[in-house]
Amino acid sequence: MANKLISQMGLPPSLSHVFSARNILTSKDALSLPELDLMALLDIDIASVRSAVARISEATCPPFQTALALMEEKMKSGGYLSTSLPGLDNALCGGIPFGALTELVGPSGIGKTQFCLKLALLAALPECYGGLNGRVIYIDTESKFSSRRMIEIGESSFPQIFRIQGLAQKMAGSIIVVRPTSISEFNDSLQQMKLTLLQNEVKLLIVDSMAALVSWDNDKGTSSSRLSPLRGSLSFLKSIAEFSRIPVVVTNQVRSHSNDESFHYIFQGHKKDTSSSERIESHLTAALGIQWAHAVTIRLIFEAHSGHRFIKVAKSPISPPVAFPFVVEASGITLLNQEGFGVAGSEINAIRCQGLIFGKCNIASRLLLSVVFTCSSYT
Amino acid sequence: MAAKAPLEEEDTKPQTLLLTGILSNTYRACINTAAPSTAQNPHVTEDFRLPWLTGMELLSDTNQNKHFLPTGLQGIDALLGGGLREGQMTEIVGPSSSGKTQVCLSSATYVVDKKFGAVLYLDTSNSFSPNRISRFVNQTHPSLPKEEKERRLQMIMSNIYCQSVFDIFSLLDLLHHVESTLKHTVKLGGSKLCLLIIDSVSSLIAPIIGGKNSQGWCMMASVGVLLKKIAYEHNISVLVTNHMVGGENGTLKPALGESWKCIPHVRLLLSCCIGANHSTATVLKHTLLASGRTANFVIHN
Amino acid sequence: MEISNLPISPSLRSKLLAKGYTNLSSLSPLSPSILAQELSIQCEEAIEILRAIPHATTSKNAYTPHGIIPGAVTAWDMLSEEQMQRHISTGCNDLDTILGGGIHCKEVTEVGGVPGIGKTQLGIQLAVNVQIPVEYGGLGGKAVYIVDTEGSFMAERAYQIAEGCISDILDIFPSNSREFLSCKERLRANNFLDGIFYFRICSYTEQIAVINYLENFLTQNKDVKLVIIDSVTFHFRQDFDDLAQRTRVLGGLSLRLMKLSKTFNLAVVLLNQVTTKFTDGSFQLTLALGDSWSHSCTNRIILHWNGNERCAYIEKSPSLPSASAPYLVTGKGIRGINSNFKRARTMPS
Repeated sequence: MANKLISQMGLPPSLSHVFSARNILTSKDALSLPELDLMALLDIDIASVRSAVARISEATCPPFQTALALMEEKMKSGGYLSTSLPGLDNALCGGIPFGALTELVGPSGIGKTQFCLKLALLAALPECYGGLNGRVIYIDTESKFSSRRMIEIGESSFPQIFRIQGLAQKMAGSIIVVRPTSISEFNDSLQQMKLTLLQNEVKLLIVDSMAALVSWDNDKGTSSSRLSPLRGSLSFLKSIAEFSRIPVVVTNQVRSHSNDESFHYIFQGHKKDTSSSERIESHLTAALGIQWAHAVTIRLIFEAHSGHRFIKVAKSPISPPVAFPFVVEASGITLLNQEGFGVAGSEINAIRCQGLIFGKCNIASRLLLSVVFTCSSYT
Repeated sequence: MAAKAPLEEEDTKPQTLLLTGILSNTYRACINTAAPSTAQNPHVTEDFRLPWLTGMELLSDTNQNKHFLPTGLQGIDALLGGGLREGQMTEIVGPSSSGKTQVCLSSATYVVDKKFGAVLYLDTSNSFSPNRISRFVNQTHPSLPKEEKERRLQMIMSNIYCQSVFDIFSLLDLLHHVESTLKHTVKLGGSKLCLLIIDSVSSLIAPIIGGKNSQGWCMMASVGVLLKKIAYEHNISVLVTNHMVGGENGTLKPALGESWKCIPHVRLLLSCCIGANHSTATVLKHTLLASGRTANFVIHN
Repeated sequence: MEISNLPISPSLRSKLLAKGYTNLSSLSPLSPSILAQELSIQCEEAIEILRAIPHATTSKNAYTPHGIIPGAVTAWDMLSEEQMQRHISTGCNDLDTILGGGIHCKEVTEVGGVPGIGKTQLGIQLAVNVQIPVEYGGLGGKAVYIVDTEGSFMAERAYQIAEGCISDILDIFPSNSREFLSCKERLRANNFLDGIFYFRICSYTEQIAVINYLENFLTQNKDVKLVIIDSVTFHFRQDFDDLAQRTRVLGGLSLRLMKLSKTFNLAVVLLNQVTTKFTDGSFQLTLALGDSWSHSCTNRIILHWNGNERCAYIEKSPSLPSASAPYLVTGKGIRGINSNFKRARTMPS
């Protein structure tokens, strides 16, 4: 809409010519300038500028709906990808929503990739089995994708489906894995993908993980310069989600607090953080910063403490702050408690990582995983 | 040629002699020419020019007509040597929530309370709060009986006029209107206008300056000149507020740039320390007093 | 110098100055045809110039109180108007109290906070509460909700909040009272959802376009009493490269919003993100878009964590003292600490 051409907006011809003569061709060009600049540039008086801007704005303005119409539309077209975890689906009122960014954040090895693999599987499943019957694009930046593990998850979760001849291969075929090695490659593949998304019935986009693309060197440059390659990707991902109405799941890493962090406003004064309850965030925080945190719609935090792992719904427009304990099994992630625990206060944003001794796990060490997990419950 | 009244008394003090030797004229004479007809009528220049004044006449005008208007906040009044001077433009600059609007509202209340005249408040951010004004009024005389309070409240608040302004062209139109009305009519519903507040002038000017063309700077200068002209000719004090923008190294500096700096006669910087329940005012520029002095003041709720 | 301030096209202005016209009084006695002849321009352009001159009052007897400026009102008249004005309840009694009744109409209020603190929840709550019928103490108006991403405004959540609001109203007001029976039919969650106009914008150009278009829209929909923009920052932070120009465009935008709120007597609520800033030797949280934006609102409320509680702090207000109030985000929406509710473990689907 921003690139709508002024020549097509029905302005009086004299005005239209003046705009194009000064190289103001799209509504973005016209609306980015203050009134006085337009007056000087186009050599017209303020009343004409105002009426032209009003006409351009009316043409550029997106159409409106009432919230009732919105809800009815959503109910018709369905809006969620069920995660197959009833407690989580209940909390999110259906599952991972279409058209929005969902973020999974947590320390390494906690189970984010397992969750993503399960989601990919669920999206590829035929509709009669509760899936979306579509293709999945899995952008794997850390080479964590394992098709063997995915098949194992499939066989454990839906044994009867996977015994059907050829279904497993068909499903594996509809999951496209992309492995970019730099952020520019990532952006390029996203651009190419835009067409694919529209043509080829892609029903889920997973980026695992986003943070790995940005190089964390020790240079404490301004955070804006470190994150600016991400900004383009961020708005692009959001626009993909909106236009294609598909769920977009992104994983994020954690990092320790740096001195740049702050959690207080000026009016709160300079509190000395002596009590541990104030520094609930302990030493870990989500990577990619606060601007990214604002941009995602749903944030699920994976953490480990007191001998258990938890999925916390930290940011969601529709869910109260709840935490579900979970384990990683052969069939992917399983919730231990479908009701979840309400989490009070800012603890919902904390990321703790106690009891995780090792980094990554792969399918071979799945047995080791359960052994170590049992041991860690005694720590 | 100047029509001069002779000095009333012989005075040989050095200051007086110096002042007598200074002839002054306002800028208006230089600009106010009707160019197309000057060539035909050489005397027209004389008709449009204001008379020359000696320094003594200026001094007596200042003493008699250019009073100090109190703001109601003791620290600031002391800092300014009495208050806001009529005939001058005072600027208050400060970061967000430092108390600029409060100073404006307080001044409006006190000036009317002490019967200096009426106040015109031009508001660009819908911050004019009649509720707040009524609280200021009640603070001045807390121990009056109810009917008396009500009567005072009505009397004071009926002399404060508020108008919302949202763009620079409306502001200029408004100021021209004010100027011509003041020329023809002296009274404003019973009281003479003595204080003109614009809160905040920077939000009107900031969107027009900084572009590639210089029209914006030109209009900013015109606003400054027009305000000072109205102030001087009609013995009004003009109070404007300005906000702050980021400067180098993360410090804040007043908005509107270097060209605006010389326009107000007096500039005060407000700051509010967290934790302390008072605010601080610093003099950035003053015509009579030294700059750099600070004072604390308290705004009561 | 006065000619250069006229809102006419630069070329006409320079022609006037070239011919020696510098002040307005030299122009007013001229007729359009003579002016057109002098400047060698079209007659229509001459008419345009003369129309742009502000017409001074020539009445010498303007003793009326409003004679000095047309449209100025006295503070006394505004006081009685203000006292009759209803405010938009936020759902939390403590917050309403420190706000002096709720969100004020005719003012622009900015609400900022870290992600997840409840800004969108507050926005949806206000969009529902503005529609509470007048008989029940509300404004009975509609809401415009301008959102920057599809996901943050969820109609299902608005439905839940509307239901919560209705059930609270029916608790307070006895449902068998005759005068309430007529408007009780209007108390249905679907009606509340029907009263929220939803605009989704995808870029800052569309955001500017919507705000410009609102003047037209509000003239046609006079019962809108609340405009919420969620969030005002996102697209401007993302895509606008020239920071100086961004500041100027935002300045113009904020003036337009102020004008809308005053002209149409509605409340404008802007939801803003936070960023970190280095001040006084340490990093502090502050609202996005810089120092110049911080003065573009009438009131500012910051939602923050105070230990384990969510708190709302009034950081800027011309009439209210700075104060803080705790609030909760519940299944029914924003509520106060003392309100009666069961802390839901999970949401009913």
